[in-house]
Amino acid sequence: MNRETAPTDWKGTVMQKRIAGRYAAERRFKLFGLGAVLLSGAFLAFLLFVMVGNGARGFTYTHVAVPIDFKSTPLTVDTSRLGDADADQVIANAGLADIVAFAADEALGDGGAELISENAWKEVRSEIKADPELLNGKTVFELPASSAVDIMAKDGARGELGARVDALERDGKLGTGIHWPFFKNADATDPAVAGIWGALKGSVLTIFIAFLIAFPTGVLAALYLEEYAPKNRWTDLIEVSINNLAAVPSIIFGLLALAVFINWFGICQASALVGGLTLALMTMPVIVIASRNAIKSVPPSIRDAALGVGASPVQVVFHHVLPLALPGILTGTIIGMARALGETAPLLLIGMRAFIGDVPGGICSPATVLPMQIFLWSDEVDRGFVEKTSAAIIVLLIVLLSMNAFAIYLRNKFEKRW
Amino acid sequence: MAGRQRSNLLAGRAGTKLHSRPQYHGWYVALWLFAPAALFLAVWSSVSPALITNQVLTSEAAQSLPSFGFERGAILSDARSVAEGKQDRVRLPAAAPLVQPYADASHKYAWIGIAAMLALALAGGLYAFTRIKPDFRARTRVERIVMLFLLLASLVAILTTFGIVLSLLFESIRFFRLVSPAELLFGTTWAPQSGAPQPDTFGGIPLFWGTVLIGAIIAMIVAIPIGMMTAVYLTQYAAPAVRRWVKPILEILAGVPTVVYGYFAALTVAPALRNFAVMLGIPNASTESALAAGIVMGVMIIPFVSSMADDSINAVPQAMRDGSLALGATPNETIRQVLIPAALPGVMGGILLAVSRAIGETMIVVMAAGLSANMTANPFASVTTVTAQIVKLLTGDQEFDSAKTLAAFALGLVLFIVTLLLNIAALRIVKKYREAYE
Repeated sequence: MNRETAPTDWKGTVMQKRIAGRYAAERRFKLFGLGAVLLSGAFLAFLLFVMVGNGARGFTYTHVAVPIDFKSTPLTVDTSRLGDADADQVIANAGLADIVAFAADEALGDGGAELISENAWKEVRSEIKADPELLNGKTVFELPASSAVDIMAKDGARGELGARVDALERDGKLGTGIHWPFFKNADATDPAVAGIWGALKGSVLTIFIAFLIAFPTGVLAALYLEEYAPKNRWTDLIEVSINNLAAVPSIIFGLLALAVFINWFGICQASALVGGLTLALMTMPVIVIASRNAIKSVPPSIRDAALGVGASPVQVVFHHVLPLALPGILTGTIIGMARALGETAPLLLIGMRAFIGDVPGGICSPATVLPMQIFLWSDEVDRGFVEKTSAAIIVLLIVLLSMNAFAIYLRNKFEKRW
Repeated sequence: MAGRQRSNLLAGRAGTKLHSRPQYHGWYVALWLFAPAALFLAVWSSVSPALITNQVLTSEAAQSLPSFGFERGAILSDARSVAEGKQDRVRLPAAAPLVQPYADASHKYAWIGIAAMLALALAGGLYAFTRIKPDFRARTRVERIVMLFLLLASLVAILTTFGIVLSLLFESIRFFRLVSPAELLFGTTWAPQSGAPQPDTFGGIPLFWGTVLIGAIIAMIVAIPIGMMTAVYLTQYAAPAVRRWVKPILEILAGVPTVVYGYFAALTVAPALRNFAVMLGIPNASTESALAAGIVMGVMIIPFVSSMADDSINAVPQAMRDGSLALGATPNETIRQVLIPAALPGVMGGILLAVSRAIGETMIVVMAAGLSANMTANPFASVTTVTAQIVKLLTGDQEFDSAKTLAAFALGLVLFIVTLLLNIAALRIVKKYREAYE
């Protein structure tokens, strides 16, 4: 058998070329990988950049200085009633809105009332309520500009309205400030006074209810499955349904809530209560799975030791296993709650998309949540809502990211290797 | 408390030895005190409204009520909310005379309820109290009850699953009485809002196609290569410190609420894509495009794909990698020809899970992909998906019995079954593959 093959010529040009090619492929591949990482990072950065760029302006507003002289156009209000519960009504009936519009016309020229927000008189009202003395003299009020003027002032002026805005700016009548009403008000049709407080409170109520239901149920279920459950068909069924529930699309939970909670039980529709129940069903499996992992990682020697000194099975679990697993359980719970907090689709189906101009009073009154507010505002045609939407998104992201950061902090702080 | 004291007393007596520690006797009594009362309260609060209404209906003022139907219910609930103090005054004049009977009746039944509850609590407490004896096994009893609680907690999962399946099935059957299942599954025209002249048509194919186009095609074209390469880079090339920082940062992508992605897609991505399409000269490019929704959805799913791929690449035994490297293969040859083929089943499982998540995604599609049911392969056109249609059918004021609202439940059932099958398949693949190496 003639097998006189020449040994591979590693130094030859062909082989060198081949090796160079392979190394180049290696570098290319590595660059691809880096590119993929950078691409996803860049997308995240772009998303945050767009939102912050649009939304940062939503936290500020433009105000117009309007002097109002209550001596020449008296507001006939009995000052002793300003402390009463119906003070708002009293002032509104006295015609404050007209007075403010008139003063704006006078101060800013014809059509001056269009330059300030149509709800600007409510600002004046709250200032009068705080200090009735204002009614006896002339005061310069800084009133929120109308949405169009606000955009002009921030974007640069154009057209006829733009000329007026420029003129105002030259006269030093325009100013900007932090838009406190954005944090204090509920939804409104006028972007100049629309705020997120109503939605934020609704979110807090909803999540609180979801937590109250999902956390104990989830942890107890995890304890049962991990510590006591016999291995039989029933516990298998429980286990399979928990794993399935964790992967069911969220909108299906909305359908469930609509059919069961609202149409069968007739629980108050569109309220924080129904929303919380729905989100609780959604987060429960997440909490069970996280808790089971945390409980599983508690070493058996601790259980054996406790049993060895005479503790009962329930004592072992509640005095030893649960406290040791708690950091892990909490981490999973916070992450699950953060996810529930950002959820919109199931709440859409149970009617939480209605326009709600009030801050929710209780768990059964109509409420909206922050993501829903974002969704509703994103449909608004008024340009002033674009920056409001982005500002609300910034608030939501800050809340969610700090929850997640807290979960990571907890995990790092309490992480134990047994 | 009392139970604890009594058992302390018993323990104090010479010559007796308690089986359980005093606090367990205390717990035992407390459970007997509260559990029956709470159970009664739950039953009572669901029964008593009906009893109250019955009593109101026998009063004189109720004789003038309209006999049946919606108006009667509205008047009754109006009177009830005034009587309970939720409203200041009646909205419907007919409800006014009913307020007083309502208040009286609910007062009466509230007293009956409280009295019965107290009696039950007392009886339960006394029964438990008398059972405290030195050899009574209070701890065992209490623990059995605790176990029962735990079992009940885990049954919630089954109840939820049954609730989902039953409510979807129940409403879907009502829908299928009006429209045949074959039409939903194989019909090619989706026009539920067509109005009176033409009947509604519920052909689901355009929706299913839209769902597949966005969730399974466009989103996966974005998510799979980027997710895979990210996982490969982070597991094989990146320094541990980089990995420690980059991974959580990328996971933020999965934690951003979907409504934010939807807004981003509608506000930024979709107009940019439309301009791009117009520049290319593509006809009927719309601001609501499958592509915008699909791309953004793909980005949302990147961390999902990459962490599944990450897990399965890490699960490939180190020996296989070392063997390949020792034979002179470069790292990328090792990755492409050894690691990825070995990790493929796990990766496939991850991709199936990602698809199931993508087709269940709602907000991005609702906000960015439009609501018109088109059967088109043109990614710049507007398409709609199953989830977007469910939202469309169920929002707005509609009576609960129309075929339109019921259709949403039928679509939900289809979605539920499909995602369930995908998840089961994915988990089975992942599980089978894990066993091969362990």
